[in-house]
Amino acid sequence: MNDEFLKRKRILLVDDEQELLDMVVSILETEGFCNLVTAKSVKEALEAVEHGAPELAVLDVMLPDGDGFSLMERLKEKGEYPVLFLTARGEDEDKFRGFGLGADDYIVKPFLPKELIFRILAILRRSYKDENPLVRLAGSEIDFERAEVIKEGEHLALTAKEYDILSALYRNAGRIVTIDSLCEAAWGDNPYGYENSLMAHIRRIREKIEANPSRPVSLITVKGLGYKLIVERV
Amino acid sequence: MKNILKLTRRFVGVLLLSSILVFVLNLAVLATLTSKYAQNGHPWETAQKAAENIKNTENGYVLSDEIMKILEQEQAWAVYIDNRTLQVVWKTDSLPEGVPLSYSASSIANLTRGYMDGYPTFTGESEDGLMVLGYPKESFWKLMWPSWDYNFIAGFPKILLCVLAVNITLFFFIYMIANSRLLKSVRPITNGIQSLPTEEPVHVKEKGLLSELAASINRTSEILQEQKMQIRKKETARANWIAGVSHDIRTPLSMVMGYADQLKEDASLTEEERRKASVIVKQSERMKNLINDLNLSSKLEYNMQPIHSSKENLVSIARTVVVDFINMDIDDRHPIEWETDKSISVCMINADKDLIKRAISNLIQNSINHNENGCHIFVKVTKSDNACSVAVSDDGVGVTDDELKQLESAPHYMLCDENTTEQRHGLGLLIVKQIALSHGGQTIISRGSHGGFSVELRLPLSGFH
Repeated sequence: MNDEFLKRKRILLVDDEQELLDMVVSILETEGFCNLVTAKSVKEALEAVEHGAPELAVLDVMLPDGDGFSLMERLKEKGEYPVLFLTARGEDEDKFRGFGLGADDYIVKPFLPKELIFRILAILRRSYKDENPLVRLAGSEIDFERAEVIKEGEHLALTAKEYDILSALYRNAGRIVTIDSLCEAAWGDNPYGYENSLMAHIRRIREKIEANPSRPVSLITVKGLGYKLIVERV
Repeated sequence: MKNILKLTRRFVGVLLLSSILVFVLNLAVLATLTSKYAQNGHPWETAQKAAENIKNTENGYVLSDEIMKILEQEQAWAVYIDNRTLQVVWKTDSLPEGVPLSYSASSIANLTRGYMDGYPTFTGESEDGLMVLGYPKESFWKLMWPSWDYNFIAGFPKILLCVLAVNITLFFFIYMIANSRLLKSVRPITNGIQSLPTEEPVHVKEKGLLSELAASINRTSEILQEQKMQIRKKETARANWIAGVSHDIRTPLSMVMGYADQLKEDASLTEEERRKASVIVKQSERMKNLINDLNLSSKLEYNMQPIHSSKENLVSIARTVVVDFINMDIDDRHPIEWETDKSISVCMINADKDLIKRAISNLIQNSINHNENGCHIFVKVTKSDNACSVAVSDDGVGVTDDELKQLESAPHYMLCDENTTEQRHGLGLLIVKQIALSHGGQTIISRGSHGGFSVELRLPLSGFH
């Protein structure tokens, strides 16, 4: 999967603990992220934003001179970009409050590096389109921009439902997406009873993306649970 | 209210019974007294006897000794008046002075029914004269000229009953009036006492006969409220303390976990060093679970965890948890298998989604923790008429019958003050139990069909289909 352009995005990290900041920076740098800005307080964060707006903000909730929620509001006044909260407060009300204000995701400490990276990439992928929008699969390529599949030089258009299902799978590429999440992606909030329709759509998607639809290698079934999209690394 | 009625009935009963008793007692006393005073109180009879027993002999009139003795005993005197002459023809020796010896018709009439010179007199008739007995002054109270209405005497029993009834009614009213104040003040008191166990604050007006009682009820209520508040305060403090500690541990643990994970992947380290780093990661993950569990458990225990219930599909929740585990699975030693029947795709329950997720992931984590060498984990959702269950089983080391029994009964350290050496189970299973309880469901621990350990979380079905 071509994530290289995502790793060049400017990320603002705000936490009052220097050592935690160091660790997050180290995790992200190891993974290839190269445009990181850190701040230890609301004041520093606002100053950092003055020099150039970030493309993603990772905020702690408790800061020495304010809280992360109000910091998010102030940051969002200056530009539209996704926000991920990284906090030691796992209480429900905080979570609701965070999402209610427009936070894009929420990670409760302690966390594993790969969880942080996965969440950051997922948000970035959702928010920023690839300059090169082709997604390479084993037997084909998906062009999400044009909503079509290119297989052996042939252009196959995706229907709206097929597009919804494929993008939900692509956002979580390499991971299982449950039947329920896929139904929700395609049919909205009350997604019960669409399992058979989903199966039909999956079959049609396979006909478009797989070299051999009866032996799928890109869109894998995980029995009873969901499906997984395997994307080729560039 | 019921109690007041009962109380009144009882009081009135006692009252009626006691008034009847007093009445009977009075009658008895009256009877005894009357019989005592009337035992020698038959002067008319004595006079008649004396009249019959006086004999005209050659030596004049003679009264039998028997009667004479009676007269002597009663300190009575007697005269015998001849019918024709109206002269005293016989008299006792004790005749006081002033008693005339000759009579006229009117004076005879007088002494027949009344007094002679202050002495109560009684008469008895014989063939040729009139026997007059005179008793000592003030020995009898003679009712002169008594004349009762006939109907009065004839209806006397009826009148007596009426009077009795009126008396009893009167008694009752007097009692009710006298006691209405008492009853009035008893009512709020009983109400107050009855509402004490509801744990709601109770306030009774401190007025009336029983104001002291009311005051102590109020005091009791205040003490109860105070204690309730103290307990709540303590519980809140404890839960907050746990929340605070778990919060403070999170940031340092993040660093332990994060750096250890990086070391684990560091290619410049030896195999052995990387293995050690992975142990640190695994153990810090256990600590993370422990912190989460401790916090949630204390909140559930002290009812501080808000339950946000809504209609949820248990199949979907279970699927999400399983997929999260598979997606995050670091080693491949604990593969999870979805055993739910294909036909069950919707099973609606009323539940807090996050809590149910937590319960299921605790069960899966439990299987992982107890089977370090790996095992298969099986997740199965089943549906019955009124419940929906999710069972997490494994084919790992499992438990013995004794351990199973202990798991069912062993107290948890949070719920037990005593320092026993008994085995106590971890927080993981306790939370599952607490969550099941808070959703009106239950947990069933068994060995399952795969030979290892199995826990079924059974939740009541929502009305939705």
